[in-house]
Amino acid sequence: MFEWLEYSFMVRALAATLVLSFSVAPVGAFLVLRRLSLAGEAMAHAIVPGIVIAFVVSGLSVVSMIIGGLSAGVVVAALTSLLARRTIIREDASLASLYLIALALGIFILSAAGSAVPLKSFLFGSILGIDDETLLLIGATATITLISFALITRPLIINTIDPIFHESQSKHPGLVTQWFMFLVVLNLLGAFKALGTLMAVGLMILPATAARYWVSTITHFLILTFLFALMSCWIGLIVSFYLPEVPSGPAIVLVAGIIFFISLIFAPQGFHVVNRLSPDNNEKTTSTQLNSTLNQGELSDEKNL
Amino acid sequence: MQPTLLSAAGLTLGYRDVPILKGVTFEVTLGDVFAVVGQNGSGKSTLIKTLLGNLPPLAGELRWGNTKPEIIACLGQGSGFDNHFPLRVRDLAAMGAWPGLGILGKVDKACQNRINTALERTGIIEIADMPLYKLSAGQLQRALFARTIIQNASLILLDEPFTAVDQTTEAELLTLIDDWAAEGRTVVLVLHDLSAVLQHCNSVLLLGSDGALFGQPKQILTTHNLVNYGYLSQSQATWFESMYANQDEQYV
Repeated sequence: MFEWLEYSFMVRALAATLVLSFSVAPVGAFLVLRRLSLAGEAMAHAIVPGIVIAFVVSGLSVVSMIIGGLSAGVVVAALTSLLARRTIIREDASLASLYLIALALGIFILSAAGSAVPLKSFLFGSILGIDDETLLLIGATATITLISFALITRPLIINTIDPIFHESQSKHPGLVTQWFMFLVVLNLLGAFKALGTLMAVGLMILPATAARYWVSTITHFLILTFLFALMSCWIGLIVSFYLPEVPSGPAIVLVAGIIFFISLIFAPQGFHVVNRLSPDNNEKTTSTQLNSTLNQGELSDEKNL
Repeated sequence: MQPTLLSAAGLTLGYRDVPILKGVTFEVTLGDVFAVVGQNGSGKSTLIKTLLGNLPPLAGELRWGNTKPEIIACLGQGSGFDNHFPLRVRDLAAMGAWPGLGILGKVDKACQNRINTALERTGIIEIADMPLYKLSAGQLQRALFARTIIQNASLILLDEPFTAVDQTTEAELLTLIDDWAAEGRTVVLVLHDLSAVLQHCNSVLLLGSDGALFGQPKQILTTHNLVNYGYLSQSQATWFESMYANQDEQYV
């Protein structure tokens, strides 16, 4: 039953996705909270030409990949805001146009340059064939992300919930949001190798949206998002171990999707099917919800944020 | 006579050379409850931004008295507030303490006690563990006032804090503002409720499209001034005057 543990590529993949889950969970959680889920998806495609060019020029060098990805992300973001301000096309349409161009350009260059990396692993990831340098990239990404979140979580919460208040408290309110967007791109690069450009955002968004159905405090939200991300990765990896035809990326994201639907149906802030079916609770939904919330508050540790 | 906290002379404010507020002169005394009244677009929120230091004046001078307050608390208008964020009422109040904690500091027992006291003062201690999205507009405003208490600021800026709340809540929160003034804090209050200005504020700045009047509420808020500065229409003014026809006082 556990024969997959005997293969070193599986152990490496399990370890890599453990670290990756630590890293992408807070980023995905705040993407959802800041209503940037779709912008994150667009960004994942926007960075593709940068990665590809870096790739063609200097092989799988982590540093050039980061530089390439970040530059492409900045160019698309800047162009989007320029088009939105100066032309009649609004921001969403500008971003959609530009990321589609970027994605097409990236794939075009990749194919034209006759790269050694197969297109399939570029699109869907190849976590089962992970090399030392990528492990290092994921480790560095996680380290930077977790240290950053230790420092910026509070300002980021304030900025998300009440931007006017944040402006009144901070000399440079834009700094926190810019640093967050940097972390988004960094984690997209980390997730890129595991899940490919089409699926990278899936590991950020789906565990977060699923977790959001269950929780009412930010601490629980972050913890549950991490657990869901990790479950998706590990179950997805085992599935693709037994079904070698299935690339790891879609398998992982599909598991995250199943967790999402289970949460949607059963979680207290989803459809909450169990509660609806029980006859006692039908009339007293509001008061039960209130009581359960109060109880949760009492039971949960006294720690404040 | 209390010392002056800040004085403005010929203050012109606006964005990119488009002035919104022109040549305004006023003075805020320490411990004042200072009201800002004016029609929509007269520059009330712009003035708050400048007081916070986020928007430099286009012209004129804004001078702080002996010392500029280290902490300025600000409660802005509701737009942009995300009440679906997974946070409890007590966490929202705790946000007022975060800047003082440093980067990695924790909310300690003393701070938690302060939070509980603030939630009691604003009348929402029973719902301290409720998530924000379940709050009514009045409860949310009480929570935001609790956060403002926690900030422990010597200057408090409130931009239309009673827009979406009921009369009871407004009355209770106004007593909190009275308490702040009694504690020696200065409050700048953007407000549309003129009777509240008359009862709770020591001075008022009436902003119009072509200038401003500054002085004591009873002298400034006459129907004549309010019509001239575009705050009341002539028909509203006539109605008010008929209401007060039998009284000596002519203010609203």
